[in-house]
Amino acid sequence: MKGLPSLFSPTFPALFLPRALLSHYRRHPLQLLALAAMIVIATMLWTGMNHLTSQARASLDQSERAVAQRQQVVRDDGRALVVEDFVSLRLAGVCVMPWLEVTPETGSRLVGIDPLAAHCFGAGTGASQALDQPLDGKPFVDVHAAASISARDSHLYLLTPETTQTTGLPGGYYLKTFSASPDTGELGDSFVLNLEALGVLVLLITALLLRSVYLLGLAQRRDSFALLHRFGVPPGRVQRWLALEILALSLVSVVPGVWLGRWLAAGLGSGFGEALDGLFDIPLYAGQGQGWITPVLVMLAVVVIACLGDLLLLRFRERFSLPLPARAALAIALLAAGLAMAWLAPSLPWVFIAVALVFAGAGWLTPAAIAHLALWRAGRSKAPLARWRFRELAVLVRRLTLPLVALQFALAMVLAVQALVTTFEDTFDRWLGQRLEAAYYIEVPSRTDGHKAAAWLTGQQASAPGLQWHRVIRGKAQLADAENPGGPQVDVLAVAPVGSLVRAWALLEAAVQPWGALASGEGVMINEQLARRQNLGVGDSVQLTLGAQPRALPVLGVYPDYGRPVGEVLLNAATLPDNFDVRFESLSVTPGELGITQVTSALEQIWGVNELSLRDNGTIRELATGVFDQTFALTRAMTLLTLILAASALLMMGWVFFSARAWYFRLLVVWGMQQREVAGQLLRLALLVTGGIAVLALPLGIWLTWVLVHRINPLAFGWSLPMAVYPVFWLELAVLNLAIGLSIAALMRRQLGRPVVAPVSASALMGGER
Amino acid sequence: MTESLLAVRGLSKHFVSGNETVPVIEKLSFTLGQGQSLALTGRSGSGKSTLLNLLCGLELPDAGTIVLHDRVFEAGGAAARRTVTAWSTLRRQHIGVVFQEANLMPALSLLENVQFRAQLAGRDPANSEDWLTRLGIGELAQRYPDQVSGGQRQRAALAMVFAMEPALILADEPTGSLDRHTSDEVARVLFDLQARHGCSLILGTHDAELAAGCQQRLDLGHLNAV
Ligand SMILES: Nc1ncnc2c1ncn2[C@@H]1O[C@H](COP(=O)(O)OP(=O)(O)OP(=O)(O)O)[C@@H](O)[C@H]1O
Ligand SMILES: [Mg+2]
Repeated sequence: MKGLPSLFSPTFPALFLPRALLSHYRRHPLQLLALAAMIVIATMLWTGMNHLTSQARASLDQSERAVAQRQQVVRDDGRALVVEDFVSLRLAGVCVMPWLEVTPETGSRLVGIDPLAAHCFGAGTGASQALDQPLDGKPFVDVHAAASISARDSHLYLLTPETTQTTGLPGGYYLKTFSASPDTGELGDSFVLNLEALGVLVLLITALLLRSVYLLGLAQRRDSFALLHRFGVPPGRVQRWLALEILALSLVSVVPGVWLGRWLAAGLGSGFGEALDGLFDIPLYAGQGQGWITPVLVMLAVVVIACLGDLLLLRFRERFSLPLPARAALAIALLAAGLAMAWLAPSLPWVFIAVALVFAGAGWLTPAAIAHLALWRAGRSKAPLARWRFRELAVLVRRLTLPLVALQFALAMVLAVQALVTTFEDTFDRWLGQRLEAAYYIEVPSRTDGHKAAAWLTGQQASAPGLQWHRVIRGKAQLADAENPGGPQVDVLAVAPVGSLVRAWALLEAAVQPWGALASGEGVMINEQLARRQNLGVGDSVQLTLGAQPRALPVLGVYPDYGRPVGEVLLNAATLPDNFDVRFESLSVTPGELGITQVTSALEQIWGVNELSLRDNGTIRELATGVFDQTFALTRAMTLLTLILAASALLMMGWVFFSARAWYFRLLVVWGMQQREVAGQLLRLALLVTGGIAVLALPLGIWLTWVLVHRINPLAFGWSLPMAVYPVFWLELAVLNLAIGLSIAALMRRQLGRPVVAPVSASALMGGER
Repeated sequence: MTESLLAVRGLSKHFVSGNETVPVIEKLSFTLGQGQSLALTGRSGSGKSTLLNLLCGLELPDAGTIVLHDRVFEAGGAAARRTVTAWSTLRRQHIGVVFQEANLMPALSLLENVQFRAQLAGRDPANSEDWLTRLGIGELAQRYPDQVSGGQRQRAALAMVFAMEPALILADEPTGSLDRHTSDEVARVLFDLQARHGCSLILGTHDAELAAGCQQRLDLGHLNAV
């Protein structure tokens, strides 16, 4: 005491305060460490997430722009294109641009393009826009550079604008759509959107955790603040120093956090890059000039708002502080408004606002609701021990509000992401299974006759049991309606015969005996995108211009069609008009007893070619599923990491709470309860808390799944996924929660064993709050 | 002299701090009759709290024997587990302990606290409100510990102890954090009720005036003195 006045004399006014404030952390270095670690981990998680998302988006954008026009010229004889082809096509006046894909001996795939050759694509088209940009960004390089790389594998494509007609080509060439893998552009967007939403949730959860750790520290320093106040330091000055302190701490911690996040992204990025590459045919290019400024500023803002938010809002809070029932009513109102808005929202931003409202309402309501329920149960308990336990539960929940809410959000997020990911996997697997019903896919070479091949296959049918096949013809059609004769273009998928290979398709909506009706040409089926966009259903009819005349065809069924944005109609190829412009033709064949070599050699003979473009079911499926596994493993890892963070924060806060309250638990021992019994009570308390949170996280998670699957996806992409729930995963989460509860109880039990000094006061700080 | 409730023979206890052994109680022997009161006095750190803890089994001695309520506790017995259980049962039913502070569960009202303690001891909790009234805080029964003064809290703690109808009350500085006036009042009810209900009392205090209220006195400043 003696030294204080001199320290506090006007000669030291600026230094005394920070020293007094910092002395707390000198005595409790672990607290400072925990706070810093929390900031670092929060920053790392979010930066990693953000980095991956922006990389994915940039890659998607660039590749989409570059291949906006997906048409290529290929040789009739099926041989690979060479430079001479390019020269002869350009000499014939055809606009073509070389697209050279090379896989170097080491490193990832590159695409070489020739910007000069792309000028004939015309101004304003996607390709030229993409190519007008400097090409120093990977993976696009100059075609000459690409050609000079010693490559493991290289393939030349010649792209041509959509305006190019088959008739304009010299002999020996034909047109083909350009896509190296299934067109999954919208799926890529969906993926990025989900990543982004996840990033925001991660940020929110970590902000809550940060806040809880910070407030804990503040509470423990309350006595020293009171002391400073008594020494005559105005509270405003203390607050300013506190703000400065947290700002300095976050600056020190955010920078390594961002660095770690980028490191995490780079580490995960290799797997992630492969996933993107395989799934969307987009090579991930690392090292894009993503600045440090943005993540650092965002995280600084988050830390400041999370820690000092109410300091800034103090005046506001004083003026508008609400009594408890009013606050609960407000939370319920937020929740209800959010739920209604999510249901009715006409566009994506509204859905996101709705999600924010629901989370705010739920986060506000959950701890209050558990505490309320506990108090109500305590009031009804006749047994004093049960009454005590429920009262303690209420205190515990109020004290651990922030980490509990964070855990609830994390659980809900993990639940939703898991359901979404699993649904994606399941649905795609089934959908792929349907689409890839046949064992082999054989492209019908241009200028050859699909009819002859079909006739041959029909002839074989009697003598070859197990042979299943159909022709697939792709092209375009124009939709029309009464007001608008020139409606949007849709893809045409025509099959004939409408046999067992398509009849197994699951339909979202169907007329009676839809396949029979389709086979007899009585109507068409449409994909979900078209149904949603045009508001069509079974019983409606579509005006379709297939050749010359528009025809009205009834809708017989709606089928799911994932990963493609465009509308599509499925019809019997036998009903196509003769002048239908066939863009692509193939045969889907399950050879049965015939054997595929017999089929291919017969077809080669019929078509007079030496080689067929043949793909088999197994490799396509293997590729697709492998890619999904990788992508989703990443998403899962991110969410699980967040969950683990939330769990450890709860563990830490629980431990701090129980340490302060240990005396009162030991009081039970003084009153003659055995340690074993008290430990049992502790266990029940801990399990009630974590169990309650898990139970309340469940509806939130299911709701979030519903929003992702039924609101966000359809609004963003036009197709929805079936909503599925996975109780086994709930069980896994329940077990995880059980483990958290058990750990808290075990930690507390250790404290029980030690002698506890009686608190000198019954303050909240001493664990004496009710 | 009344029948003896408590007999202590050759009791010793030491603590180890660092690599140094600090003897706190050495070869202490005394007896206490039923309904009698004993003041433990001595400077801070002389071992008052330690002895009180030993007398209710919250700590176990290094040597010596305690006979309490016809039960014999030998130090260093093989069946340590059974000893702990036996002490628990004794504390639950027959030994009321009062500390300087924080004797009440913060989340329970004064009445609920008394009911809880009575029920644990196997007494009828219906009398709880009476006890609060007898201690002069009947109208505060529904309040929570943080809603009453320190003196009122200690009265509630005493109500809690008397509601369990103990054979022995161990009080460690029960008025230590109260002002003189309140302290005297609380002490008066304590001695009054203790005398009326015939239970024994051991009171650790460095307050000479409070110690004077007891029939006997044990100064831990001089080890082994009765
Ligand atoms: N758990 C322990 N570990 C080590 N030393 C202890 C422990 N408990 C008490 N002591 C020491 O034993 C001695 C007696 O402590 P005790 O608390 O019994 O004294 P006291 O007479 O109650 O003092 P006060 O009047 O200050 O309450 C002290 O020197 C103390 O430091
Ligand atoms: Mg003491």
